[in-house]
Amino acid sequence: MSSFTAKADTATFKERTDAALADRILKVAVERTAGTAETKRGIAVAAFPDFDAARDRAAAIKDHVVAHLGHYLEMFEANAVAAGAKVHWASTADEACKIVIDLCKAANAKSVARSKSMLGEEIGLPHALAEAGIGRVETDLAEHIIQLADERPSHIIWPAMHKTREQVSALFKAKHRSPHEEETIAAMAESARRQLRGEMLGADVGISGANFLIAYTGAICTVTNEGNAELSLVPPRVHIVTAGIEKIVPSMPHAVHMLRMLARSATGAALTQYTTFYTGPKRPGDRDGPEEMHIVLVDNGRTKMREEGLAEMLRCIRCGACMNHCVVFRQIGGHAYGGTYPGPMGSVLTPVFDGLPQSRDLAHACTLNGKCQEVCPVRIPLPTLLKGWREKSWREGLEPTSMRVGLGVWAWVASRPALYRFGTGIAVRAMRLLGRKGWIDRLPLAGGWTQYRDMPRPAAQTFMAQYNKERRK
Amino acid sequence: MSARDAILSRLKSTAPGPIEAEAAALLTAPERPAVDESALEAEFLARLALPSVNASHDVIAAMADLPAAIARYLEGQGEHLTLYLPPDPRLATCDWTGFTLHESAAPDEAATLAIARKGIAETGSLVFETSPQAPMLPNFLTLHHIVLLAVKDIAPYLEDAPLPGVQPRAHYWVTGVSGTTDIEGSYVRGAHGPRFLHVILLRD
Ligand code: SF4
Repeated sequence: MSSFTAKADTATFKERTDAALADRILKVAVERTAGTAETKRGIAVAAFPDFDAARDRAAAIKDHVVAHLGHYLEMFEANAVAAGAKVHWASTADEACKIVIDLCKAANAKSVARSKSMLGEEIGLPHALAEAGIGRVETDLAEHIIQLADERPSHIIWPAMHKTREQVSALFKAKHRSPHEEETIAAMAESARRQLRGEMLGADVGISGANFLIAYTGAICTVTNEGNAELSLVPPRVHIVTAGIEKIVPSMPHAVHMLRMLARSATGAALTQYTTFYTGPKRPGDRDGPEEMHIVLVDNGRTKMREEGLAEMLRCIRCGACMNHCVVFRQIGGHAYGGTYPGPMGSVLTPVFDGLPQSRDLAHACTLNGKCQEVCPVRIPLPTLLKGWREKSWREGLEPTSMRVGLGVWAWVASRPALYRFGTGIAVRAMRLLGRKGWIDRLPLAGGWTQYRDMPRPAAQTFMAQYNKERRK
Repeated sequence: MSARDAILSRLKSTAPGPIEAEAAALLTAPERPAVDESALEAEFLARLALPSVNASHDVIAAMADLPAAIARYLEGQGEHLTLYLPPDPRLATCDWTGFTLHESAAPDEAATLAIARKGIAETGSLVFETSPQAPMLPNFLTLHHIVLLAVKDIAPYLEDAPLPGVQPRAHYWVTGVSGTTDIEGSYVRGAHGPRFLHVILLRD
């Protein structure tokens, strides 16, 4: 196990980041998957006619839905109920978990098969199932790996991105009934296939999220490349869906547009291998399918986001592109962020779920280079939203005293030009003394900055001093 | 107040209607990959061969040729002539002599036949619906997913896939085999479900 994952839940953001930066194995693992995803997305987007216009359309579709969210949720509910599904509503994560657990108990469920859902992680469903004594089979391969390792997902598309093949191999050898013998990734996947097939088919309840909820038909859509959603959701007697209320799209053609954007942004494919729309439970004469279908519509802070300046974040389709392209994520991986959702989108969402006092560091960890916004298929202005959290943190007095005092002193000096120029002139000369071969690799009072970076040795004079000299010539 | 009322009371529309017209306007001339509609079969086959879809194919001239085409494929794969057939009356007209047919799919079924309602040229997708004649699970349990598709049923775009009106219980698109990149981003076929996808085109 990577050294930092063990303390991810208790350590501060700075401690987690320090541990992640010192973990060389982690960096290799993250780079392998995120690097490939970045390349593949680039190729897919370049081959698509006018991806930028398609992003405008995707953003407009989501904005339209968010503006009329109540209207569409009622329409979705009416159509899902007409198809025989039961629709439940939950304001909070706890309410949502309680509904799911009660449904599992009513179905006498001993074990549930779960198809990967970030909403499930967000509301703490794995924990709630464990507390209720209900067995849980994670059927997505990556979720299976982290279930065996007793860890949390580190990425929303590749939850086990932080694990190397050697670590996965050791885990499967320790926990699978008939583990692989050959040390190849194919043999490891085969070992998981053998292990999971029976467990999936024996589950009493199948639990999934939804990538989209189709208002006009009452269908819920799941997408997977593994086919594990279908294997988890068709055999059990009961299918429970937990979905965020923002997952709505009006019609199937709207879903088609969003699916084109999702697959290309996430993995660079034109479409996921398996895309399924479920409308209600088994029909008369059907040979398979669940007898009951329940859909839990979860708010958990979303109505508040819509009211309080974060409506744009409700466009998010959980593609993961922003984290794959984030320089910070690529250095520290997902666990260091400490929330359910990592990377840029996680840094915007975590304060909503965990509170700003606990998560104000996340907005500060961003370099604001804007790469996330450039690749986001629904054009979420992530840097602007992160700046919003920084400002709020300042307004609410959450910044540490040292930062407030430091900035106060700076503001006092900066409003006195002569004093400011005098001070920067001294600083430049002092920094030149510390530079070796053109670089500064250690700086007093800024050890945190120079521990992982070098800084170019500054020019002999400040810019203003050089400018004034040139002007006088 | 119930959670439903609490949520809906905070979600009044923030923009003027008419909502339906606005939703429809968002679909005008969608950006999508170009498909040559005069060469749908060639376009479909080109997508089917992409590494991400990774399907093989064969062509037959009549329904009567289907068993021979399936036998050809299974023998080529070194498999027995054992096959799960869905209870679809169109398949009853074929002569299945030489095959061991399964009426229900075993958890480790080797080969399964399914009839696609449509093929989509844009992505090489196969479109299915559940019905009493078309169970869903066998298509995910099997190692070899064999799919019959009539050439006349190939449509250009994903927008052409759904049925109008009342929806079937499950409507699903298959665009390749069960694959995973969950270990170090490296691609493995046959993660949970089919490892092979073979499409038999009926050019009737
Ligand atoms: S914020 Fe944008 S890029 Fe990031 S996961 Fe959401 S949709 Fe994808």
